[in-house]
Amino acid sequence: MEDSIGGSSSNDNNIIKEQDRLLPIANVGRLMKQILPQNAKISKEAKETMQECVSEFISFVTSEASEKCRKERRKTVNGDDICWALATLGFDDYAEPMRRKSRTKIQEASTNQNDLC
Amino acid sequence: MSDAPPSPTHESGGEQSPRGSSSGAREQDRYLPIANISRIMKKALPPNGKIAKDAKDTMQECVSEFISFITSEASEKCQKEKRKTINGDDLLWAMATLGFEDYIEPLKVYLARYREAEGDTKGSARSGDGSATPDQVGLAGQNSQLVHQGSLNYIGLQVQPQHLVMPSMQSHE
Repeated sequence: MEDSIGGSSSNDNNIIKEQDRLLPIANVGRLMKQILPQNAKISKEAKETMQECVSEFISFVTSEASEKCRKERRKTVNGDDICWALATLGFDDYAEPMRRKSRTKIQEASTNQNDLC
Repeated sequence: MSDAPPSPTHESGGEQSPRGSSSGAREQDRYLPIANISRIMKKALPPNGKIAKDAKDTMQECVSEFISFITSEASEKCQKEKRKTINGDDLLWAMATLGFEDYIEPLKVYLARYREAEGDTKGSARSGDGSATPDQVGLAGQNSQLVHQGSLNYIGLQVQPQHLVMPSMQSHE
């Protein structure tokens, strides 16, 4: 069966490209399954649709963050750039919790450093 | 130049999660592999662009949240309709409901192509199981344009409008 829907031949090159482009379907399926009630099922097409979607989401947000860095003449995209991109693209509900988590992690890291000293 | 220091674990291969290995398998269940996420992010950057570790971590969190968000909405719909299996149309419906309209057109074509390929291998077209039709999802009709953005362009969707008709839209008279 041809899994890559583009209709291209499934030679090694294409397989590698698919692996680079998409996140592992088993992991995606596992994450989806955690949300569902015990008796629920997920069709293969649903997993593959979500796989495509997640790749699109990552590219979409990263492109926006990258554009910001380019304008500010920076080479490295950081967490704040991602949060900014999320907010800019209308994912405001994501942006603030992510910022908070990011700050918490930084604080935890510095606390751990102090404990070591 | 206010560059943040480049992440030491860029393209880190086997690294699964940035949150330490204390909770082992549970972390693996909660997050998608950071190396894969990093690879997809890198494709959206210019050749000289770099990704800080906290950017990867943030994206990893986001992706999990994104999947949960859409899946739970689709799941609720299936529960209301007393169906056990979530399919592609349910996800499209959930995306439309949650404001991801731009994703729907390319994904709709993707699904149609997917089902065509499945139909060819099984010798029969798959019919819908009571899930939302694209009209209910708020999708445009046969002449709608694809939204060309990001990675969905890879699918090679140079399709004619008639290919946009989903199996569940076709009349069964």
